[in-house]
Amino acid sequence: MILRVLNFAVIGMLVLAAAYVYRIKFDSTVQAERLAKIRSEVRRERDTIASLHAEWGRLDNPARIEALAKRFLPLKPIQPTQFDSLDQLPERPPQLVKPDSPDPIASMIETLEEPAATTGSIDATKPVTEPAPPPADESAAATDGLPAVKSGRLDR
Amino acid sequence: MTAVAQIVSVQMPETWRRRFIRSLLYGGDVDRAAKARARVGLAILAFVVVYSVIAIRLVMFAMVSDGRAVHRVVGGDAVATARPDILDRNGEVLATDVRVPSLYAEPRRLIDVDEAVELLTADLPDLDATELRERLSSKRGFVWLKRDISPEQRREIYRQGLPGIGFLPENKRDYPNGPEVSHLIGHVNIDNQGIAGMEKWLDGHGLAALHMAGLATDRLQNPVQLAVDLRVQHALRDELVAARTKFKALAAAGVVLDVRTGEVIAMVSEPDYDPNNPREALDPSRINRLTTGVYEMGSTFKAFTIAMALDSGRFTLKSSFDAHGPMHVGRFLIHDFEPENRMLTIPEIFTYSSNIGAARTALAMGVDAHKAFLKKLGQLDRLRTELPESAEPIVPKHWGDLNTITIAFGHGLSVAPLQALMGVAALLNGGVLIPPTFLRRTPEEALAVGKRVIKPETSEMMRYLMRLNVEKGTARKADVPGYYIGGKTGTADKVINGHYSKSSVLTDFMAVLPADKPRYLLLVMLDDPKVLPETHGFKTSGWNAVPVGGAVVARIAPLLGVRPRMDLPDAEHLILASLKESR
Repeated sequence: MILRVLNFAVIGMLVLAAAYVYRIKFDSTVQAERLAKIRSEVRRERDTIASLHAEWGRLDNPARIEALAKRFLPLKPIQPTQFDSLDQLPERPPQLVKPDSPDPIASMIETLEEPAATTGSIDATKPVTEPAPPPADESAAATDGLPAVKSGRLDR
Repeated sequence: MTAVAQIVSVQMPETWRRRFIRSLLYGGDVDRAAKARARVGLAILAFVVVYSVIAIRLVMFAMVSDGRAVHRVVGGDAVATARPDILDRNGEVLATDVRVPSLYAEPRRLIDVDEAVELLTADLPDLDATELRERLSSKRGFVWLKRDISPEQRREIYRQGLPGIGFLPENKRDYPNGPEVSHLIGHVNIDNQGIAGMEKWLDGHGLAALHMAGLATDRLQNPVQLAVDLRVQHALRDELVAARTKFKALAAAGVVLDVRTGEVIAMVSEPDYDPNNPREALDPSRINRLTTGVYEMGSTFKAFTIAMALDSGRFTLKSSFDAHGPMHVGRFLIHDFEPENRMLTIPEIFTYSSNIGAARTALAMGVDAHKAFLKKLGQLDRLRTELPESAEPIVPKHWGDLNTITIAFGHGLSVAPLQALMGVAALLNGGVLIPPTFLRRTPEEALAVGKRVIKPETSEMMRYLMRLNVEKGTARKADVPGYYIGGKTGTADKVINGHYSKSSVLTDFMAVLPADKPRYLLLVMLDDPKVLPETHGFKTSGWNAVPVGGAVVARIAPLLGVRPRMDLPDAEHLILASLKESR
């Protein structure tokens, strides 16, 4: 009796093991197929990259760029006189505007545009929601001093 | 089971017929039961063996992946193998592999040869019908029909569905820059094997062995970086093409050499060819004149003569030589191009480019010293670089006084221009002879392979002379303000049919930049430039090669990162003064 139970148990285990092995084998086949597919994709991608590299090389060829630049750009070859060294640069002008304060010129323009914004069909009684103009001394200094210098723009 | 057999044998009473047969087969007194047991054992053993063989095979099948992994062997060894990419010093692609389909046939699998020939020639008109038929009728397993076909052709042939005709993607070498770097990188044959230039060098350095082992089939190889700078190469080539057209010269050639490392930054030999179409390279007028040709370099050789005199310590910049002309040597007369007919100091000999002065300088040093000095500077031996093409210099067999006199001003000794450039670089870089290379090299590596040939002070004096020649001498037209160029011109009568030609010359110009702290040496060479109205009837180097050299310097100096410096003092004050200080 015990022997028979053992027999059946062994047969059952055998069937289970076979099923399990089959599943592993099947999975591995699927994986192997995926791997082969990815490999061939990688190879194809590499080939495409190589031909694009070649294409880029052809487009980036100095002779071609030069011909295009001569046709479409007003640029000329650099003359030695156009070079200068960094120590020849003029002194950096004193910083008139603090780095994190709003741009004085921009806010000045915004205040100038205010009346223009109220013309037309817009209701004149609508409250104006423009930002407050910056302190007067800063904007004044910026306008009569060096108008082109904005805060922090000369930083390298 | 044996038990059952026993029982059966006991229980079943034997009939007489059975007994008779048994006695016939086994004899009368044999124990059948024991025999049966042995037989059953044998059967068990046989089954065990058979089943274990099956089990082992199963395990083997499971372990080794199935038949798909086995590669196609057909034509596998005939497929052109992959090569590493070639990059310039900034990483621009000079040569790369692209995949193109190639058409092949397996004649044994072909059903109707006539039909195949007809259909294929319809799609590929440049295919020779008789040759195609011959190939398809052969009994070989694999034949190439056409390499490198277009995708459209591939589609058309595919659509015809011929059995035994197939396509294989192959690696094909592609040179995106066309003729720009032709002589330098060379080219490959139809099987992607290098046959010229750096491509051949690549094959000689391990790639061929990889091919043999069949390992170089995928693009998994590291790219090879060359010393050449594509932008400089283009600028040089552009100027040389323009110069060749302008002066109607047979050929124009140029090199840019880094004097501290020996790296060749650019090398052009016009006319050149497109490596994508290697058939052009067979034309003998398209040889690489810089390494494959040997030329008498003319007055640039005076740099060697003067350097030899200064380096010996017997002469200084103040020494002077008699330059009354013409000079009689045996049956020959030596003239100066612009005769001064007086005593000339060494700087004057150099800047007036006096043949007589150079000849007397060399004679004063003696034949043996002259020969030894040129040997030391590598002018008498074949120069070997990575390029497979090289030429042996033509050295006179019996080197007498007359040879020394002519070689002193650059006639009678033919060298490869790259070789002469290497020698001049050694005169200017502080006195170290560094063999030129087409691969990247650091100054430290260059010092390791270089060898000292002249004293640093002599090198300093040569820098002064080169600069002086641009300020006051024959190379005035090359003075681009800001770059402090130094240079030496050379004009040599060409040897035609063994005689010096009266009408055609070879002009060259070597420019160093900047002259006080040399970084780069430029060579411009024109073969047989013609007289133009604006050259006032002259065709010496100063009227053609020198202005071209100036134009090249103005274009390449910003690319090479040489900073222009304005208002520098003249050579007398800048270079000579530093020389005196160091003493």
